[in-house]
Amino acid sequence: MNRLRHAVVRWESGLVLLIILVMVLGQWADGDLLSSFNLQTTALNSVVLLCLALGLAPVIMTSDIDLSVVGTLALVGVVIGDLTAHGTNTWLAIGIGLAISLVCGLINGLLVVLFDLPALAVTLGTMGAYTGVSFLILKGLAISTFPSVIVSMGSSNVTGTQIPFAVVLLIVFAAILSFILHGTVFGKSVFAIGGSRKAALFSGIAVNRVRITTFVISGLMAGIAGLLFLGNYQTAQAGMGASELLPAVTAVILGGVSAYGGTGTIPGVVLAAALLALLQSALGLHNFSGEGQTMAIGFLLIIAIGLPPLSQKYKDWKRRRSASPVTVANAVLSSSEEGK
Amino acid sequence: MSTVSSLTPAPASALKRVFGSGFFKRSDTSLLVLIVVVTAVAAATLGDFRTISNFSNLLNTVALIAIVAIGEAVTIIARQIDLSVGAILGICAYLVGETTHHISGPLGPVVGVAMSLALGGVLGLGNALLIDALKMPAIIATLATLSIYTGVQIFVNNGSQLYLTQVPKWLSGLRGATWFGISTFIWVAVICMLVVGFILRRTRFGRDVYALGSNPEAAIYLGVKVRLRTYQLFALCGAMAGLGGLLYVSQFGNVDATAGSGMNLTVIAAAVVGGVSLFGGSGNAYNAVLGALLLGEIQNILELTRISVFAEQTLQGVAIVVAVAVYAVVSRRLRRPVRREAMAVATMGAATPLAGATSEGGSHE
Amino acid sequence: MTTSNESKTMTPVVELRGIQRSFGGLQALKGVNLDLLPGEIVGLLGENGAGKSTLVKILTGVLEPDGGQILVDGTVQRIANPRVARDLGISATYQEPAVFPDLDVAENVFAGRQPMRKGVVDWAEMYRRATEIFEEIGIELDVHAPVYQLGIADRQLIEIAKSLVSGARVLILDEPTSVLSNREVDSLFELLRSLRGRGISLVFVSHKLDEVTALTDRVVVLRDGVLITERPTAELTIPEMVRMMCGRDVGDLYPEITRNSGEVIMEVKDLTRPGYFQNVSFVLRRGEILGLAGLVGAGRTELAEAIFGITPAESGSITIEGHPYTAQSPRHAIRCGIAYLPEDRLGNGLVSGMRVPLNMTMSVWGSIANRFGRFRTRVMYRQASDLAERVQLQAGRLDQLTSSLSGGNQQKVVLGKWLATEPRILILDEPTHGIDVGTKAEVLGMVAELAKSGVAVIIISSELEEVRAMSTRLLVMREGSVVAEFATPIDSHLILEAASGVVKVGQ
Repeated sequence: MNRLRHAVVRWESGLVLLIILVMVLGQWADGDLLSSFNLQTTALNSVVLLCLALGLAPVIMTSDIDLSVVGTLALVGVVIGDLTAHGTNTWLAIGIGLAISLVCGLINGLLVVLFDLPALAVTLGTMGAYTGVSFLILKGLAISTFPSVIVSMGSSNVTGTQIPFAVVLLIVFAAILSFILHGTVFGKSVFAIGGSRKAALFSGIAVNRVRITTFVISGLMAGIAGLLFLGNYQTAQAGMGASELLPAVTAVILGGVSAYGGTGTIPGVVLAAALLALLQSALGLHNFSGEGQTMAIGFLLIIAIGLPPLSQKYKDWKRRRSASPVTVANAVLSSSEEGK
Repeated sequence: MSTVSSLTPAPASALKRVFGSGFFKRSDTSLLVLIVVVTAVAAATLGDFRTISNFSNLLNTVALIAIVAIGEAVTIIARQIDLSVGAILGICAYLVGETTHHISGPLGPVVGVAMSLALGGVLGLGNALLIDALKMPAIIATLATLSIYTGVQIFVNNGSQLYLTQVPKWLSGLRGATWFGISTFIWVAVICMLVVGFILRRTRFGRDVYALGSNPEAAIYLGVKVRLRTYQLFALCGAMAGLGGLLYVSQFGNVDATAGSGMNLTVIAAAVVGGVSLFGGSGNAYNAVLGALLLGEIQNILELTRISVFAEQTLQGVAIVVAVAVYAVVSRRLRRPVRREAMAVATMGAATPLAGATSEGGSHE
Repeated sequence: MTTSNESKTMTPVVELRGIQRSFGGLQALKGVNLDLLPGEIVGLLGENGAGKSTLVKILTGVLEPDGGQILVDGTVQRIANPRVARDLGISATYQEPAVFPDLDVAENVFAGRQPMRKGVVDWAEMYRRATEIFEEIGIELDVHAPVYQLGIADRQLIEIAKSLVSGARVLILDEPTSVLSNREVDSLFELLRSLRGRGISLVFVSHKLDEVTALTDRVVVLRDGVLITERPTAELTIPEMVRMMCGRDVGDLYPEITRNSGEVIMEVKDLTRPGYFQNVSFVLRRGEILGLAGLVGAGRTELAEAIFGITPAESGSITIEGHPYTAQSPRHAIRCGIAYLPEDRLGNGLVSGMRVPLNMTMSVWGSIANRFGRFRTRVMYRQASDLAERVQLQAGRLDQLTSSLSGGNQQKVVLGKWLATEPRILILDEPTHGIDVGTKAEVLGMVAELAKSGVAVIIISSELEEVRAMSTRLLVMREGSVVAEFATPIDSHLILEAASGVVKVGQ
């Protein structure tokens, strides 16, 4: 029990350390980083990213992947923006948008799970399809006026405080998702499927149902991300949010979710998203262009994925150096056996 | 089992000699037929379609995509993928355009082509490095390099763009030029198709690419040099993207920091629709060309009939899903090992170093 | 059955001297000496677990021995990997041929060594030589055909051709005929005999003693990692071979079985899944242990998976306690009181990345959640430690990742998982495979206890002694059909004969 907690904590505490590091360095280099205004802006800017990442996490944990989240984001954002611009009741428009996001997720789930098609290929295709539909709807136009409800959802603070409403909303979502993934049977099933789909099936877990549900969740979160995007950036354009895919995936992997599934935590993803947002903010204050920040994220992703295997290789190398030839030979032989 | 397509005898036997019989498969022939049909119907019904200017524009665009798709096809055949080709194209477009501006005389084109291939190749090696050294799955590795290379692209552009006036005459004129009546773009595309097709079909490297895509474990067991091949194939893919960059300069004149973005999906769709299976192990360069042709035509038709200029991504996305689904269904029907009346395929007890050597598709990637 | 050419010198191609190999605590080979001579067919016999697979893996470079030497052409060699083995001329074909389905036959035959001309692949030459090879050995295969169209038998032929192309002098065939029809077996044997005529040394690993008698020049029998005997085939009768393979009882490994079966709990009628098993019918009683014996490939696992709902049968019926039961999914099966311990422990039985308590309670997670869906971790730990006690798993093991446990302990975890579901019917598929002797006894003891408490047990095992000693009743399957039913106790050789099809015994 303790060892379990210990292992989990190790990755998260690494993230916390990094956050503190960035804070300290950033604040020292440019005093504005930790100002309440900047923190607010940073937090708001990270909302869309975190929303996508929270939805992506369960999918990746079951060792699937969903590239279409940015497509769903764009589609839902465009639909809601278009509807409200034409006078539809705001809440109705939001309802329709979220319903669409569920459908998008469901389509992914059905194709991948029931038709047994590779998730990578399918969601690559649906990403294009959903983004494409957003183009079909809005074509080259951009919408810039939105109902105040949506704007305040995306930009304003909770009354009387300095904390953006959207951030609170995301924290609530993260808490709910964390409970689902770490505290329910469904969540345990997600990890089991990611660890070994066949063993989960043989143990009586409703594998298909769980997998489809994770796709629906990622679709829904992507739709919510689209809604928050509207409120935050106050613009709706076809293909919006496309650049958020990489940061979202990075946040998930950086948060400790293995690219191959079976491990990871929601708090980790939240911390990783926070780290990314802080980093982007710090770089931005240093006049790094938006694209320079994206590059930095790319490098972070590489480090996040590359670190575990590299550190394993290092550990193996150390062990081999200090071990006698016999132990080494046996180790090599037995590891080659396991690989079969 | 394989049939040579219904070309006239002389080219057919020449192709046979160069590429070996078994080059054309039945599915490719039907795709070719489909393209012919679509072209004929469109030409008959759409006045705008059959104009020279539309045609030459269409073919040039298709040629450009086809070239990059050929490189992408190589990665897909090996059961990998490269999401960064658009950015590689963009970087090469700008840098090559910039550099050749300062080179006069006949050296210009030589440097241009060589540089675009080399630069693209080097960027492609970056992808392979991540996949090999850090053991990253290709999808994530190239997602990362996509962002990094895009950043580099913007950095290199330095806030401005390359203007038509800065492009050397030979390059800007390439678009309209013809050799023996056929646009240069098409020549380049065809040459690439033949060269890469040849590489895939007639070199050890090429055959190893198929082996890796068809049954990676058996490939390793039989001694294929996986690491070397990974570097080589991503370098080839990058080089093709680089070459596409060169043509991009010619096609569009201005090169800004968004050059090539959005091409990634197009190129993958072209390869997949053209017949390169996303499960790996099958397909060739001409599949990429056929796919680019078909998708490009459909896109053109959609634009001309005003159905929508904006249908492009939807089309590509749906095309990928459909292609994958069709392939999965068909291959499952074909790949089932022949059942005998009484016996099953047994696995336990015998010494099998390769569990699951028969590939069953990659639903878990 | 001809003997090889006498005029050939009898220098062995391969000599094995004192080969030893262990896995963890288990010694698979305890000093085996074997010579392989050119131009002969040697039959390698032995039960499952006797060490045949390990020996083959050592010869082909998949494993290296812990002790002993391998000599090829009189020189000591270290076969460190399959490539080295192939370069030395040692090849093997397995039941799952390692082919490239998307590539054509010729290229598969020349995989990795395509003929080149002027630096490029010479397809014409490849097709020509492939056709030549097949003609030489008398096979009709279209060298242009893509391999995914070919069945297992043809894929095997490709593997054989591949070995010839790589210059094999020793060709090991591991259970090649279990997937072939009679006609295909005949043509394969003709091929093998012609290969023998070319001076190749063939090793024929098989349980099919009639085929061994028909094909081989001499037989080598392994038992418990030791080479028991080596004799010319002509000197042995099949019953003698069987007796050498089975040997004496291995002591008090097996628990005492109570023989009081209750009423019928499950009735299977004409269960068929084309290609895997057909018209399987039997009854299962409470408290009995029904052994399911047979050779690899007889269809037993497929039958179990059909009952458990992994891949349901296509026709036939199952009733449980008189009510019709349709196998839809493992979930459904568990709800109906069926539990299945799969053959592949690590792949199908456990999520190796998860810790023991999670694995142990996996099938009953639903009952660990409270009203609101919250997963009560404390309840899980309590249940897990209860289960651990029941399966005699040491307390210290409870907090570990299942991947770090020994095979025996892993099996205990899996068993615990199934006990938690309180099954009425428990199906065990090769439950003691790869487990040390001590844990084996414990596990089998628990199975006996379960049966005593009224659970109906089906035990699938390829180990004759085990299935013989553990069952109250025994079914033998062969090529997808139930060919015999025995009441125990019964002689092992009768079981093996029924399984190999030597003598078809009536019900």
